Amino acid sequence: MKSIQRSLALGLVAVLLVVALLLVQSSLWLFEAGLKRSLEADLREEAEGLLVAVVNGPDGVQLDTQRLSPRYQRAFSGHYFQIQLPGRTWRSRSLWDATPQWPQTPGLASELLDGPQQQRLLSYRAQYRRDGQPIVISVAQDYTPVLDSFARVRLSGLGLVGVALLVFLLVQRYAMALALRPLERARQQIAQLQQGQRQQLDSQAPLELQPLVEQINHLLTHTEDTLQRSRHALGNLGHALKTPLAVLGSLTQREELAAYPELQAGLQEQLAQIQQRVSRELGRARLAGEVLPGAHFDCDAELPALFETLAMIHRQDLDLRWQAPPGCRLPRDREDMLELLGNLLDNACKWARSKVVLTIERADGGYRLCVEDDGPGIPPAQREKVLARGARLDESAQGHGLGLGIVSDILAAWHGEWKLDDSPLGGLRVTIRLPAGR
Amino acid sequence: MRLLLVEDNVPLADELVASLGRHGYATDWLADGRDADYQGSSEPYDLIVLDLGLPGKPGLEVLRDWRARGLTTPVLVLTARASWAERIEGLKAGADDYLTKPFHPEELLLRIQALLRRAHGLANQPLLRAGGLELDEGRQSCRKNGEEIALTAGEFRLLRYFMLHPGQLLSKTHLAEHLYDGETERDSNVIEVHINRLRGKLGRELIETRRGQGYRFGGQP
Repeated sequence: MKSIQRSLALGLVAVLLVVALLLVQSSLWLFEAGLKRSLEADLREEAEGLLVAVVNGPDGVQLDTQRLSPRYQRAFSGHYFQIQLPGRTWRSRSLWDATPQWPQTPGLASELLDGPQQQRLLSYRAQYRRDGQPIVISVAQDYTPVLDSFARVRLSGLGLVGVALLVFLLVQRYAMALALRPLERARQQIAQLQQGQRQQLDSQAPLELQPLVEQINHLLTHTEDTLQRSRHALGNLGHALKTPLAVLGSLTQREELAAYPELQAGLQEQLAQIQQRVSRELGRARLAGEVLPGAHFDCDAELPALFETLAMIHRQDLDLRWQAPPGCRLPRDREDMLELLGNLLDNACKWARSKVVLTIERADGGYRLCVEDDGPGIPPAQREKVLARGARLDESAQGHGLGLGIVSDILAAWHGEWKLDDSPLGGLRVTIRLPAGR
Repeated sequence: MRLLLVEDNVPLADELVASLGRHGYATDWLADGRDADYQGSSEPYDLIVLDLGLPGKPGLEVLRDWRARGLTTPVLVLTARASWAERIEGLKAGADDYLTKPFHPEELLLRIQALLRRAHGLANQPLLRAGGLELDEGRQSCRKNGEEIALTAGEFRLLRYFMLHPGQLLSKTHLAEHLYDGETERDSNVIEVHINRLRGKLGRELIETRRGQGYRFGGQP
C-alpha cells in the first residue's frame, strides 16, 4: 500500500541528497580552481627566481647555488625544479633519484605528476630566452597535503549532509503527521464505521476534506433512507398481497367447497405455494446485506426484546437463555440479525423439550453464533437436506416451519457459513460463523 | 366472549366475523384506526384482534394509546408484516400475540382460544376444564363424568364464559355485554332461558343465583 508520508519522505530525501552532493562537490571544485590559480602565481615566481639563479660565470652559463632556496637542497622536500638549456640540464638536489615526467607544454600542467615517495606534484613550465638561448624551467610542488585536506573536507561535508538529512527527515515526519492528522482521524472514523461503532463521519473536517466527508455522510444517509423506504414499500406490498391471500385461504374453508374435496385441496395447495413464494421473496428483498457500513447489532439492547417475544409466542415453560460478551456489537444490520436469530430461535423453540440456548462469541477474527435446543434433533443423514432446502428455493418443502430459507439467504449475503450438529443439550446445534470484516 | 376485530379489508373481515361467529364469539367489526382507538377502550371486550395496516390511525399507534390509557384487554396483532424486527416492535407496543397474514382460519381460532385462557390464568390444554366439566371448544360440546352432553350455540357461549370465570359473581348485564355484539338487541330473558337450560342439562347446583346480584358458576365460594 502506498503511504503519502512515505512517498513524500522518499522524494524529499532524494532531492536533498542530490542538492547536497552537488553543493559539496562544486564548492570543492571552485575552491580548488582558486587555489590552483594562486599556486600557479607562486610557481611562476619560483621559476623567475630560478631564472635569476642562472648566471653567466667564467665557464659559461652556470647555476648559482647561493641563490637557490634551501628547500631545493633538502631531499624530498616537496619543492623541485629542472632547468634545461641546450646541451645541459640542472635538477634540484631535492629530487634525489626521482625523474618525474615533466610537462611538455608551458604554463600550469593540467595533470598532477608522480613524484618521489608517492608525492603528487603540481608542476609549472616556463620558457625563457636569454642571449639567444632558450631556457626551459620546470618547477613542481608537492600537492598531496592539499589533496588530503580536500578529502577530509569532503568527508566532513558528507557527514554534515547526512546529519542534515536526518534532521530534515525527522522535522518532515513531524510536520507531515501534523498536516495529515485530519486524514488519520478520518481513517480511524471509517474503521469505526466499518465496525459499526458509528453511523456518520465527524463533519468537523479541514477544508480540503470537507467535500469528501460530506459526500460520504450524504451517501450513508441516502443508503439508509433508501433501505428504509424500500423496506416500507415491501411491507406495503406484502400487506397488499397477503391480505387477499388470507381471504382466499379462508374462502377455501367454506362449507360449499367441502363438497368438492379435490378442488379444495388443489386450491389450498396452490395458495400455499404462492404464499410461501411471496414470503420468501419479500423476506429476501428486505435484506440489507452489506450495504450499510455503519450498521450494527447491539446484543445487550436487542436480545432481551427478542427473547421476550419468543417467550410470549412459545410455551411458557421453555427455558430460554442467551450469552454474549459484555457490550457485544455485531457489525451487521439490526433487522437482518433479528431475522436470522428470530428464525433460528423460533425453530429451536418449536422443537425444544425445555431449553434453548443462544451463545455469541468472538472466534477466529470473526463471530460464532450457536443456537442449541434439547429437542429430538435432526439425524445426520437429513442435515444436508435441511441446509440444501434452505439454499434452493424450488425444493423448499412446505409446512415444516423451519424458516431456514431466509437464514440461508442472510448468510449468503454476509458471506457466513453454517453447520448443523448434535448439541451437548441433546438436540440440534446450529453453528454460524461470520467473518468480522466486510 | 365478545371480540373486537379491527381490519380494513372488507372481504377478510366478513370471512373472519362469520368464522368467529360460528365458533361462538360475538364479534364487533371496525375498519378505521380512529374508531378502534375509541371503541376498543370504551366497550368491555374480552379480546381484540388488531390489524396493523389501518386507515385513519396506524394499528401500532392505536395499540400504544390503548396501553397508555391502561387498557389490559389481550390484543392479538394480525399483520402482513412478518419480519422479526416488526414482530418485536408490535410486542413492545403491547401486543400479546402476533399472527402473520396469510393464516389458516383455524390457526386464528386456536390463538384466540389460547390467548383467552392465558388471560384468565389457565393452562393451554386441548379441553377447557372447570367446575367438574370439560368443554371441547372445537366441537362445542361438554362432558360431565365421562358423559357427552350436546349444547346449542347459545348454551355453549354462556357455558364457556362461565367456565373462563369460575367462582366469579357475574351480573346479567355483564353477561349480556360479553355474550352479544354491539348490534344485537340485548334481552336479559334470553340469558335466563339459557341458564335454566344449562341447569337442566348439567345439574341445578352448577350455577348459583344471587338475588339482585347475578350468577356464580362452580362450587367454590
